[in-house]
Amino acid sequence: MNSKSLNRKMDELQRKEKAGLLETSNRSRTLRKLTSNKLALIGAFLFIVMVFLSVFAFLFTQYDPNAIDLRNRLSPPSREHILGTDQIGRDVWARILYGGRISIFIGVGSALGSALIGVSLGTYAGYRGGWLDSVIMKISEVMISFPQIILVSLLVTIVGQSLWNLFFIFILTGWPSMYRMARSQMLSIREEEYIQALKAFGIPRYVIAFKHMLPNAIGPTFVNITLSTAMFILQEASLSFLGLGVPLEQATWGNILNIAQDLTILRSAWWTWLPVGIVITVFVLAINFMGDGLRDAADPTQVG
Amino acid sequence: MVNFIIRKVLLLIPMMLVISFLIYAGIELMPGDAVDFLLPPDALATMNPQELEILREELGLNDPFLIRFFNWLVGILHGDFGYSIQSGVPVSTLLANTLPATLELSVAALFISTLFGTLLGVVSALKKGSIGDNILTVAGMIGVAIPQFLFGLIMIIVFVFNLGWLPVGGRMTPGHEAFFQRLDHLILPAVVLGLSMTAGVMRYSRASMLDSLGKDFIKTARSKGLPEWRVNLLHGLRVALSPVVVLIGFRLPMLIGGAVVIEQVFQWPGVGQMFVAAVRTQNTPVIMMVAFFSVLIVLIASILIDIVTALLDPRVKLS
Repeated sequence: MNSKSLNRKMDELQRKEKAGLLETSNRSRTLRKLTSNKLALIGAFLFIVMVFLSVFAFLFTQYDPNAIDLRNRLSPPSREHILGTDQIGRDVWARILYGGRISIFIGVGSALGSALIGVSLGTYAGYRGGWLDSVIMKISEVMISFPQIILVSLLVTIVGQSLWNLFFIFILTGWPSMYRMARSQMLSIREEEYIQALKAFGIPRYVIAFKHMLPNAIGPTFVNITLSTAMFILQEASLSFLGLGVPLEQATWGNILNIAQDLTILRSAWWTWLPVGIVITVFVLAINFMGDGLRDAADPTQVG
Repeated sequence: MVNFIIRKVLLLIPMMLVISFLIYAGIELMPGDAVDFLLPPDALATMNPQELEILREELGLNDPFLIRFFNWLVGILHGDFGYSIQSGVPVSTLLANTLPATLELSVAALFISTLFGTLLGVVSALKKGSIGDNILTVAGMIGVAIPQFLFGLIMIIVFVFNLGWLPVGGRMTPGHEAFFQRLDHLILPAVVLGLSMTAGVMRYSRASMLDSLGKDFIKTARSKGLPEWRVNLLHGLRVALSPVVVLIGFRLPMLIGGAVVIEQVFQWPGVGQMFVAAVRTQNTPVIMMVAFFSVLIVLIASILIDIVTALLDPRVKLS
């Protein structure tokens, strides 16, 4: 952008300001930038639709996702089964809908859980510094040096395979990155003058950290939550594909895909694995669009 | 420089100590009896309880936790990694058998993702806004969102089943074991693992290159009258590369994780496949050793990255 157009823009802004047309609230600007971002809107729309379909799965299919029908094995898409049936005759469309409940719950839930733990620790320890901060930092370094899938499988063998175990393991392995991010935000805010002022008033540390600093540091957290959600969804899929995730009896997106390990089915019955693969990809894509949109909207250096 | 490397390596030691302690604590928490994975299974089968008890005392299994941990650690330093519960083969032998396959796959994938990722990223940054740039951006977004194994399965369908160009699964056809004869087995898994990592590298190197091209030293180089390709490649790319190197290093854990999944998809006889089999059958010694070495590799790589970054970016000082 050259200086002339900048000047023009400034003039226009001043004119609007005088006329009282300019919205000065920061929040509405963020919101406006977010809503003018088409990809972010598409992402949010797809996300809402898919969550809705999963939550109200019973409205969109009359089949039980676990009902076995051995006379109807691997039948191709038809009027009765719009996405066909799998190797033991379960309706694939119903499994995708109900499986979405668990997969989305694990993805979003673990991301929120890790954010809650990571950000609270990072806010307090990042502000306070000292031994507490170095200890937590070391712990997070140890966790981060494990390749995620190896750490998760290791923990799965220790505590056993179940939906809730996987959920807690994801949180356990997910908080360090949130912690580091929140901490680095706090470190940069800590030096600001208003913090010095608050300290001089003798306000307790945790009040300064959580009430006065956290709101200014929370922006990147939302972006990180979306990225983590995408990561956990993909991880659940990979782990279940390997047979190490949620126990196979429960329908999840990853467990549905597990069938594709069989090369004959992979080759001859595309409906058992391709649709759910597309669903996972679109869901992750939607979340990433939302994340990118949030990042741009929260970034004050980008004019909207 | 030498000082820097020595200090980094020394810092590695307490880190590995902590990690091996955690891993050992993990072994202790596992269901099962420690004798089971310290002895070859055939020897175990012929023993009675008294003999076992004497053995426990001899092996130091009745010692306090910390002493047991210390003995275990000394064992590792001597190359004694324990025995596989299933087959009774020493874990060191298992690792020696599977590691070459995994290294082959990972190095090929790392090469592919680094080469294509930086190349496409830089081209896309130089031609910002062009159709090619947009196509690459969309491809990159999909590449980040698609599960690796799904991409692998689709490639199997296309190149193995429909086109019939490549063999499916395994590392070699018996009788054709020279490197070039088994290259056709390597192509598909390496390309899948490589391309699934390319998307991230590409997005990142595009951003990094754009960032670097906007810096003052680019203007300086241009105003010196250097030809455009020199400005872009020698000045812009050099600085743009160092964050990319860091990213590639950070992705090493992902490479290992990806290898675990891709080896399973393509039945590649590497460490990853062994690991998955071990987790399924609760084969503790194997799980622990794979975890131990993967962390060690990640930590060593992070030191290498620090060094390479310093060599690439003239602004970074080792201190």
